[in-house]
Amino acid sequence: MLGKGVVGGGGGTKAPKPSFVSYVRPEEIHTNEKEVTEKEVTLHLLPGEQLLCEASTVLKYVQEDSCQHGVYGRLVCTDFKIAFLGDDESALDNDETQFKNKVIGENDITLHCVDQIYGVFDEKKKTLFGQLKKYPEKLIIHCKDLRVFQFCLRYTKEEEVKRIVSGIIHHTQAPKLLKRLFLFSYATAAQNNTVTDPKNHTVMFDTLKDWCWELERTKGNMKYKAVSVNEGYKVCESSVKLKDAVFAHCYVLSVTRWLASKRSSINRRQKEKPHLYLEGDLRQFGLPAYFVVPTPLPEENVQRFQGHGIPIWCWSCHNGSALLKMSALPKEQDDGILQIQKSFLDGIYKTIHRPPYEIVKTEDLSSNFLSLQEIQTAYSKFKQLFLIDNSTEFWDTDIKWFSLLESSSWLDIIRRCLKKAIEITECMEAQNMNVLLLEENASDLCCLISSLVQLMMDPHCRTRIGFQSLIQKEWVMGGHCFLDRCNHLRQNDKEEVPVFLLFLDCVWQLVHQHPPAFEFTETYLTVLSDSLYIPIFSTFFFNSPHQKDTNMGREGQDTQSKPLNLLTVWDWSVQFEPKAQTLLKNPLYVEKPKLDKGQRKGMRFKHQRQLSLPLTQSKSSPKRGFFREETDHLIKNLLGKRISKLINSSDELQDNFREFYDSWHSKSTDYHGLLLPHIEGPEIKVWAQRYLRWIPEAQILGGGQVATLSKLLEMMEEVQSLQEKIDERHHSQQAPQAEAPCLLRNSARLSSLFPFALLQRHSSKPVLPTSGWKALGDEDDLAKREDEFVDLGDV
Amino acid sequence: MWWGGRGQSFNIAPQKEEPEMGSVQENRMPEPRSRQPSSCLASRCLPGSPSSPVDGSGISEYDFALVNIGRLEAVSGLSRVQLLRPGSLHKFIPEEILIHGRDFRLLRVGFEAGGLEPQAFQVTMAIVQARAQSNQAQQYSGITLSKAGQGSGSRKPPIPLMETAEDWETERKKQAARGWRVSTVNERFDVATSLPRYFWVPNRILDSEVRRAFGHFHQGRGPRLSWHHPGGSDLLRCGGFYTASDPNKEDIRAVELMLQAGHSDVVLVDTMDELPSLADVQLAHLRLRALCLPDSSVAEDKWLSALEGTRWLDYVRACLRKASDISVLVTSRVRSVILQERGDRDLNGLLSSLVQLLSAPEARTLFGFQSLVQREWVAAGHPFLTRLGGTGASEEAPVFLLFLDCVWQLLQQFPADFEFSEFFLLALHDSVRVPDTLTFLRNTPWERGKQSGQLNSYTQVYTPGYSQPPAGNSFNLQLSVWDWDLRYSNAQILQFQNPGYDPEHCPDSWLPRPQPSFMVPGPPSSVWLFSRGALTPLNQLCPWRDSPSLLAVSSRWLPRPAISSESLADQEWGLPSHWGACPLPPGLLLPGYLGPQIRLWRRCYLRGRPEVQMGLSAPTISGLQDELSHLQELLRKWTPRISPEDHSKKRDPHTILNPTEIAGILKGRAEGDLG
Repeated sequence: MLGKGVVGGGGGTKAPKPSFVSYVRPEEIHTNEKEVTEKEVTLHLLPGEQLLCEASTVLKYVQEDSCQHGVYGRLVCTDFKIAFLGDDESALDNDETQFKNKVIGENDITLHCVDQIYGVFDEKKKTLFGQLKKYPEKLIIHCKDLRVFQFCLRYTKEEEVKRIVSGIIHHTQAPKLLKRLFLFSYATAAQNNTVTDPKNHTVMFDTLKDWCWELERTKGNMKYKAVSVNEGYKVCESSVKLKDAVFAHCYVLSVTRWLASKRSSINRRQKEKPHLYLEGDLRQFGLPAYFVVPTPLPEENVQRFQGHGIPIWCWSCHNGSALLKMSALPKEQDDGILQIQKSFLDGIYKTIHRPPYEIVKTEDLSSNFLSLQEIQTAYSKFKQLFLIDNSTEFWDTDIKWFSLLESSSWLDIIRRCLKKAIEITECMEAQNMNVLLLEENASDLCCLISSLVQLMMDPHCRTRIGFQSLIQKEWVMGGHCFLDRCNHLRQNDKEEVPVFLLFLDCVWQLVHQHPPAFEFTETYLTVLSDSLYIPIFSTFFFNSPHQKDTNMGREGQDTQSKPLNLLTVWDWSVQFEPKAQTLLKNPLYVEKPKLDKGQRKGMRFKHQRQLSLPLTQSKSSPKRGFFREETDHLIKNLLGKRISKLINSSDELQDNFREFYDSWHSKSTDYHGLLLPHIEGPEIKVWAQRYLRWIPEAQILGGGQVATLSKLLEMMEEVQSLQEKIDERHHSQQAPQAEAPCLLRNSARLSSLFPFALLQRHSSKPVLPTSGWKALGDEDDLAKREDEFVDLGDV
Repeated sequence: MWWGGRGQSFNIAPQKEEPEMGSVQENRMPEPRSRQPSSCLASRCLPGSPSSPVDGSGISEYDFALVNIGRLEAVSGLSRVQLLRPGSLHKFIPEEILIHGRDFRLLRVGFEAGGLEPQAFQVTMAIVQARAQSNQAQQYSGITLSKAGQGSGSRKPPIPLMETAEDWETERKKQAARGWRVSTVNERFDVATSLPRYFWVPNRILDSEVRRAFGHFHQGRGPRLSWHHPGGSDLLRCGGFYTASDPNKEDIRAVELMLQAGHSDVVLVDTMDELPSLADVQLAHLRLRALCLPDSSVAEDKWLSALEGTRWLDYVRACLRKASDISVLVTSRVRSVILQERGDRDLNGLLSSLVQLLSAPEARTLFGFQSLVQREWVAAGHPFLTRLGGTGASEEAPVFLLFLDCVWQLLQQFPADFEFSEFFLLALHDSVRVPDTLTFLRNTPWERGKQSGQLNSYTQVYTPGYSQPPAGNSFNLQLSVWDWDLRYSNAQILQFQNPGYDPEHCPDSWLPRPQPSFMVPGPPSSVWLFSRGALTPLNQLCPWRDSPSLLAVSSRWLPRPAISSESLADQEWGLPSHWGACPLPPGLLLPGYLGPQIRLWRRCYLRGRPEVQMGLSAPTISGLQDELSHLQELLRKWTPRISPEDHSKKRDPHTILNPTEIAGILKGRAEGDLG
């Protein structure tokens, strides 16, 4: 690869070899850089945000190329973010700052976004945690959105270094109490400022009405009913006290652990076996206040095992088959309890196996599908490919890019998720079966798979509102433990599993393969993935709706009369100006033509493709024989005796899958019908926008998707204006002015990293190392010489 | 009998009778269907190929040039598969033959049961034999298609074939290469048969000097101008120094003057350095073909490492990187950049074409690209026949296909900067083995000329009075691969245009450092060797004087500088503060060549696979464009007659122009392409 220098100050494992080519020491930068005079940049604080510590004369390296340069400024740490205040923002022109995030600046890192912190001591990179004996000369921060920041602390006063480094480490790595989340201080302080976007139609699924609406929309109301049995979280109430106790216990444990780790090495810390099971057992407060169950199911049953073992409705297909989920019953040793559980499940199964319900197929997601451990390992390998400290490191990994990528098996996990979702889609669409997803807590892979299935089958989910409602329904109300899975409280690293990110990556594959089918763009997905770490939105900062409501409610009762009004991430105007929001919307998306505009809610989605599928009635008949058997099998599974393979995951299933998959792909795509992704080896790709956006080497100036996009927008604009002209001819009055997406206008040459990493644009310099350039003297000399020569030529 | 792809077979109209084409019969597959035209069913087997077969074009999609057949398999039942080789005995009567094309296409020919067995056998035998014969036959007899005359008429601006001095002169003027002239020294191919009849040399060098100087290069391929940068730099190409020769002082001086081309700054680029050898390219291509076969056994989760294992993409990125480096060299300051490759017929062409694509917006037009290929590959004597395996010689290496892949990568990365589309590249890719024009079927311009009859006065080569070849009639009629209407319908040719082309990106008004184009010759003030991504100073240009040359002796062993943080571009283009909002000179493209940025050309290599589909961005833009012109048309129609009965005609505007319709059009278009 193009030989690039090691970034000064080390960082890599290799010590730089002495060379006569300029290996610029930071001292030299000091003299070279003329803008040592610090411009005073004011720190922008959000309501409720407090400055905790700061350090001045910090040099932020511009990572872009091997020649060292950096910007001086102040490094501050608040209870919301780490921010670097330099003067390089002034370099941006207006055009490029239009996609600015209003909450998080270019040089801001929210505390929850920090992934790893490294210090460089004598050219050696070490992970920083706990109490430090020695303070590093350079601080490297890896962020969860894959940015890498490098701060040189050499010119900072020792006192300040100590304060800022330990401050940053403490506030990003020490376990936190839920109540100490910035979310609450922000909500308290911004109580009066929060204006909810009136245009936001996302269905939040926090009322009975929302569920009824969804039932009606999917025509599921014939066989399923929304219940309010858990209103006020009565079902869970009995165990809430226990939960609180254990929660506090966990906190104490984790704090102790963290304190202990201050003196131990990371290795030892990882070996420690924390009391995971406690937290695991607590997971089952995931039931939302309202949810949907099969109509004949008695409501008392729900309470029996705190919602375990109850089939909960996710979505109904147009042909009547439905997607259900169920959390497994707790594992018990006692035979008596087992017996009770068995008879309970038998009862449940009797209800849902009777007509009018279709045959049920059970998908056990916790036994023979992905494990959370696999996802975690794969992602941590995968992300390392993009967290680049310096160019040399980058080029080293670049040579074996494909095999490294493959060995992380992240793409393979994506493929497996998509494949599973297609299998389920096949069952529902072609075989007209109900599918019951089974998982221990029904809150990880259940959310992932059921959302994917709905995305493929229900075109409504491919609109922005529909997608947001889907996340709201399946993830937020479905009780996905965002707090733990994102490790927002830093209480347990092992619980940190990027399930939601995996989901977004799967969605990206779909968006990438079928762009016209989605109302949102990949930029939307990227920005959504970033929002996971912004603690002013409540959406991703609770483990369950129950946890959210209890925390909100009490706050309200104790301090003020009014409950806290938390922001939701779906209010995009909090983060982006309307102009920037045009980038989140796919200009080529065309809404499904509606027969009757007034009757929007009761709209029925017709799947044209379905008509061409082979009829499946005959196929499902041989399965009736083992219907009973499957139930037994399921119960065995539920009771903890796991059998590696389901009986029916045989060749027949594979054949059905193949046939379904092939026949779909051999036909043309109806973007408002069933949508299946390609899952062959070459088709699963890296979400380049998210993963490569901060890597300057990956910049293609004037190229990439943006080039097409700007052309597209231009043409859309033209179409619109022509349309207006024609409208004018019809109606004498002026047609309402359509908003022209002019964000990309008059931007001369954008890079492929647009709209991210705008500050990195210097890096478009091609780097061409010259060994021995100095041999002939200074550049200036050379230029002069050439000029003279040219002058001669003129004469 | 049916023709099908991967189990999907559907009828299309029976093919027309083959036109009588004389000698074509022995070069193309004996068409079994012509014997029973009425009973033949055909189906498309090429998902992703530009478009469906269209009546009237000479060659349909089911035609496989015999040279294109990579592997033949006979299939019977589900499990019996036999590889067919010349001389091998047929173990069974085939139900189906699979023809794997070297261009990644797959043709499935099925024989319907019932009365056809003997024919199935005959046809299979015939194909095997014909293929074997074509392998032996090293020379093709000239092919004159019956449509020859009518084809050339419709060419809008004909692509200059660079076979006349006028072509070269026109091109020279176009490039504003004022310090250069067209040399006629090779008019009779006596300097080198692999060189074109005409080429550009510096003004002040006499033809006699050229002749002498060229003798000191490998196979007589001395330094010639490839491209003159509008900013003043010159891109030259030449073969390796012929080290065994012992030139005298004047010769050395002539060689140096030609290399220096009047510049004070001279950079010698060792083309072979860091790029794959011919054998590497061939091996990678074979592996890639094996990987992309529809029945390739690679598991899906191992696909990426298998792809990496072919090394094809590695070679693609190496080419792009080097080309990008060289275009920086050419653009950043006024100098002479010499591409030197021992043979000067493979990688030099690849690099010089890529450099021009990167730095010259004109080369990115449809016309410009075709002339570029014609000039840097065809006229410059790239041995197409040998490299594409036409002669059966061992030096097979699809360098040209590697080039096309590189161009495709550029197209992917800069979708708005190229006037031609992926389909054009695909068409070019597929034309490489179609034996209807001589463009890709000869190794040298000399052979090509001989064939097309322009050299029937070859015996007069040494006649003193000989000045002009009997030009005119004979080779004006000669067809080239650029006569697309021979093989493609107008609808298909329309698809060669990239709808997303947005040439405003590259104003051609830009000149880097306007300088007098030619300077007083003197000793160059700086001579560099560009190798391993870095510039190293050289003491002298030629290897013969004093000490052994760096290039000849040790260049391949120069260690790549491990740490060098000085960026040439930094110095060339000033400090970062000078890099305004648009840091690169407009018009210059610098491609990305990182692992994640180099992609697999799926629509080409995975054509044999059933699941490959089109990406959708291009068709949607073209759909939009259609919609736009439709709207404009509508508006124009309305304008005159609308004024009086405007309101009487009560049509809801939405029914005409609501997004739904656009959707319909877009979808229809996308589906049409997908089908």
